[in-house]
Amino acid sequence: MGDLINIFIKSAFIENLALAYFLGMCSYLAVSKTVKTAFGLGLAVIFVLGITMPINWVINTWLLGENGVFQTDLTFLRFILFIAVIASMVQLVEMVVEKYSPSLYNSLGIFLPLITVNCAILGGSLFMVSKEYNFSEAVAFGLGGGFGWFLAIIAIAAIREKIKYSDVPAPMRGLGMAFLLTGMMGMAFMGLMGIDPAAF
Amino acid sequence: MAETAVIEKKEAIKFGKKERKLLTDPLDDNNPITVQVLGICSALAVTTGMKNAMVMAVAVVFVCTFANVITSALRKAIPKQVRMIVQLVIIATLVTVVELTLKAYAFESYKQLSVFIGLIITNCIVMGRLEAFAMANRPYESALDGLGNGVGYGIILLMVAFIRELFGKGELFGYKLIGAAPEYMVNTLDSKWFGWYQGNNLMVLFPSAMFVIAVLIWVHRAWNPKLVDVS
Amino acid sequence: MHSTGSVLRFVLILTTVVSLLLAFLQNGLKSRHEMNEAVYSKKATLASISDHLNIDFSTITDEQVEEIFAKSIEQVVVNQDGQAFTPEEVMAMGYKGGSASDLDMAKEHKKGAEKMLPLYVFTKSDGKKYYILYARGKGLWDEIWGCIALKDDFNTIAGVSFDHKAETPGLGAEIKDNKAWVKQFIGKKLYDGDEFKSIKVRKGGAKDPVYEVDAISGATITGDGVADMLDDYLVDYEPFLKTLKG
Repeated sequence: MGDLINIFIKSAFIENLALAYFLGMCSYLAVSKTVKTAFGLGLAVIFVLGITMPINWVINTWLLGENGVFQTDLTFLRFILFIAVIASMVQLVEMVVEKYSPSLYNSLGIFLPLITVNCAILGGSLFMVSKEYNFSEAVAFGLGGGFGWFLAIIAIAAIREKIKYSDVPAPMRGLGMAFLLTGMMGMAFMGLMGIDPAAF
Repeated sequence: MAETAVIEKKEAIKFGKKERKLLTDPLDDNNPITVQVLGICSALAVTTGMKNAMVMAVAVVFVCTFANVITSALRKAIPKQVRMIVQLVIIATLVTVVELTLKAYAFESYKQLSVFIGLIITNCIVMGRLEAFAMANRPYESALDGLGNGVGYGIILLMVAFIRELFGKGELFGYKLIGAAPEYMVNTLDSKWFGWYQGNNLMVLFPSAMFVIAVLIWVHRAWNPKLVDVS
Repeated sequence: MHSTGSVLRFVLILTTVVSLLLAFLQNGLKSRHEMNEAVYSKKATLASISDHLNIDFSTITDEQVEEIFAKSIEQVVVNQDGQAFTPEEVMAMGYKGGSASDLDMAKEHKKGAEKMLPLYVFTKSDGKKYYILYARGKGLWDEIWGCIALKDDFNTIAGVSFDHKAETPGLGAEIKDNKAWVKQFIGKKLYDGDEFKSIKVRKGGAKDPVYEVDAISGATITGDGVADMLDDYLVDYEPFLKTLKG
């Protein structure tokens, strides 16, 4: 259990998908103009990462691995299967949410299709493979990674809401400032780098 | 749909003003990175050195062009309901082709780029062009559009990598150009020009890519004021 | 709108075409992939004795790597009690291949005290022998590993080479890329008399000329990781090296 908490903390703060690896930047920059929308997207990312990570783990280990069902190395199909799982999960989640909780759908719905092409999701799955996590570790990594991404997008959205009222040089307005801010937040997060999660 | 089909048949394959615009637009007015803000992730991770940036740029140009052509050729057959997944499968296939080829013929680059090759799949430029252009246009125009966007992306990638590698390590493509080496290096690597220059470690780290792109956006928008964010 | 049947048909055709295409490509390139993997780790092993190969290591070809490995390198698999095993014995224990280069060290590393260790004995053109040991440990982000070549006094380091999975480029990754940093290890010693001292990586410059090297600025944790893995692994070879000293 301690190991899992370690991985959660590590993936949420120290190896933050958004601010340490800069994954999922497209939607991160596009949907962080207000805290409200950022909140919705952040939740959706936690949700989808939490679901796809274990599924992709099962696929990678039991279907594609040399010790899997087919007993051959099928890892060359990894990209296709991973992205298909992500796309179909996103679609499934969209349908389920729409049916059973229209209010959640109204706040989350428009972000779900965006998530398919959010590299944090696919990146998370690929990192999971290269780090050779086991099943429960993969789940912890998925949830932690999602949570870290959620924190990061909320933080930048809050800053962007405020910075709207500042006197920024015209060419830097909007996008330029967003880049600069993300860079600085990334540096701040690098300060967490040496932390030993086992100390928690 | 029927009308556009008729018009398409009349138009011969040619390279005129419109086609040139398809190719040059993404280089400036509609640049994928600095204007459309697509495909940032890989722009940051692989730009520590020119060599990796070059491999990545070529890979993206390849994937972008061919994904556009294939999707465009299949555009009438692709069922609307599964459009997204079909597009993703096409992209993922091309990316796997790139990965397998790199692994066979450029193993060092393959090792260094690691998971970031896979992330071309979710490089929003590719997906965005399929959805916005290839689904509605002929393969020939789509090829030009894909090529233009791939190159527009690659140029920014190389610019960022140039700045980061030169000021971060004083090297280009791995060759030492400026600055002296740290003390324990003195006997092994010659210092070239500007011996007083100390490599700036910040430039090597991820966040610096953000700063470099921010400055590029600044310069780009100051030079091309119609892109300035008015909101 | 397409009917469900035609959608299914389309998806089926697409997936078949795509997986056949990729399977074909994968099969065609497989031998090259495996060769690349093997040569990559062999090259890393040779990098630790690059000064003694009589060729320019920066331009070495894959064929030369294979040739040196076939001609001048003897591979031994040992355990931590000082026993050496023949390839047949190793295979009988459930390993895929019997030579040292067939060991999957990422897996062995997790076995702790049970692990098998690879040892490469290189015979230079002048007849001198060099013993290449292996070490693996933790860097900042993920695993790091390396090869350490010892002279035939089993004490003096003749060269090292390190590699890593995911260290920060320009900082931690310098343990692999920065040839000058790696060169510092040459001539350092592991033992003071009979006492195992290993090599320390010191921030702010090495103080002891025999047992310490400079740290890479900005990569303290990776540097400490290197020192830790040397401390961990080299002592595991001690029993076997003692039998060689005999």
